[in-house]
Amino acid sequence: MESLWDFFEAGRTYIVNCELAHERIVTAAYGELPDDQVHELERHLGDCADCRKEREQLLAMKVLADAVPVAEPGPNLVARSRLRLDEALDALPPRRWYELLAQRLMNNVASLQAAPVAAGLLLVAGIGAGSLGGFEFSQNRAAHAASISTAAAPPAITPAGTQAQPVAEPTISNVASVSSIVRQPGSQMVQVNYNQLVPEHMQGTMDNPVIRQLLMLASENSTSAGVRDDSVGLLAAECRAGHGCQAAGIRDALMVALRYDKNTGVRQKALEGLEPYVAEDVRVRNAVLEALLNDNDPRIRTQSINILEPVEADTSVRQVLYSVSTSDENPQIRNVSRQVLSRVPEIQ
Amino acid sequence: MGGTGRDGASRDAERLQARADEMELIREAQTGSRVAFDTLVRQYEHQVLRLALHLTGSEHEAEDIYQEAFLKAFRYIGNFRFECSFYTWIYRIVTNLCLDQLRRKKTRREDHAVYVDHSGDEIDLLASVSDNRSFSNPAKELDRKVLGEKIQAALVKLTPRERMVFELKHYQGLRLRTIGEMLHTTEETAKNTLFRATKKLRLQLADLR
Repeated sequence: MESLWDFFEAGRTYIVNCELAHERIVTAAYGELPDDQVHELERHLGDCADCRKEREQLLAMKVLADAVPVAEPGPNLVARSRLRLDEALDALPPRRWYELLAQRLMNNVASLQAAPVAAGLLLVAGIGAGSLGGFEFSQNRAAHAASISTAAAPPAITPAGTQAQPVAEPTISNVASVSSIVRQPGSQMVQVNYNQLVPEHMQGTMDNPVIRQLLMLASENSTSAGVRDDSVGLLAAECRAGHGCQAAGIRDALMVALRYDKNTGVRQKALEGLEPYVAEDVRVRNAVLEALLNDNDPRIRTQSINILEPVEADTSVRQVLYSVSTSDENPQIRNVSRQVLSRVPEIQ
Repeated sequence: MGGTGRDGASRDAERLQARADEMELIREAQTGSRVAFDTLVRQYEHQVLRLALHLTGSEHEAEDIYQEAFLKAFRYIGNFRFECSFYTWIYRIVTNLCLDQLRRKKTRREDHAVYVDHSGDEIDLLASVSDNRSFSNPAKELDRKVLGEKIQAALVKLTPRERMVFELKHYQGLRLRTIGEMLHTTEETAKNTLFRATKKLRLQLADLR
């Protein structure tokens, strides 16, 4: 150093380097310092004992901090948290169609804000489409008004002796209902006014409420055991997975199927779907008890006993088990009931 | 070299595919698909619980944070604009909830030196650290327990923000840039916060070394 000024300059640079070095020591210890700065830092630490001590202290602190380990969440905690979340999500009211539409519009607007040229083109296209659509709409409205006035007229009976217009005969399975029958006195002709079913189909996932409604309808009304089996199977799977199996709704449909369906396979699936709720829902428990007492299939009765195991100390369950143990026609079921009764000596 | 290049390219392709799959899931969840949302929850629930559990030391509180975080995510997923990764977005929600919890605890001056499970029993975290000797040393166990308590006490003395940055960097291993995004701040600010946190901890723990 040639002068006092040089001495102060060197000292000032030394202090700034140490302050910066302290920060870089932390960044480097956590692997975030760029390589060129690591090299500069190492050079500085080679000359500065204070900073070397600072680094040792930081590394020691890191080791000490690791004495509080990060625990992995246990499977019970994960399962409980999931269940609680599922219940809360099930309890949320379904979003209305206008809310979904508004959300979609907002998403589209947000996308367009990032693309002004596209937005401009869309605006022009929108104005053109709107004008054309308005014209078409007014045309259709006029045509529809004309067809309504024709349809609203009461069905006229063709006068006797005149040739009736030929009408395509309906397929009986497509007839929903007969609304009226008209017979002209002295004539062989009978006019039957009927309403026709229009076959349709719909696709969707199991969390679509309309799909669920249709499946619940299918579980009760279908004349086909195969359709009832499929619908009850899907609904039962939802309940076993804990997806939206509220008391009023799917659970009710499964209880109806268990009580009244004539097909054993359908009743079995319904029972499987109700199993998770036998402890918490008294109505489910009663439905299962009824199945145990009244179902004519021994497999259903045996399965009911197994499902009732978590609540085998319940008074009503024990009463039914006692009755079954003495009066069931199937010796194996009588045996199993006695075994269950003997497992829980006291009524809770 | 060629092999490494091919491995790197295939890893990039896998990452892109995974990202595309996740975007598809998010879009489905935005239309109201519960199945898609549940799949997203499964992908992130362990990280969320791990973070909440380590910060709060309580299974009950970790469950509460998990519940609030994913309910908020469900409610507001329609507002997610793909400007950041879903991982960052969900962590943003979780870290805000954890910060609120830390602030509440600071106000109530609650400390936790032990970890509380669902039934309310206290569990010594250090007892869960395996001892690979064939017999245990009670004196060492006690030392570790005391050490753990002192470290917890030092962590509690940090501000909520310092605690959060330290937690995300030291215990969760996230990059400072990611931490900055999660806390709605810059990488530089996250770095400075980490620096302050480590300085305070060093002073607190100086007598243990």
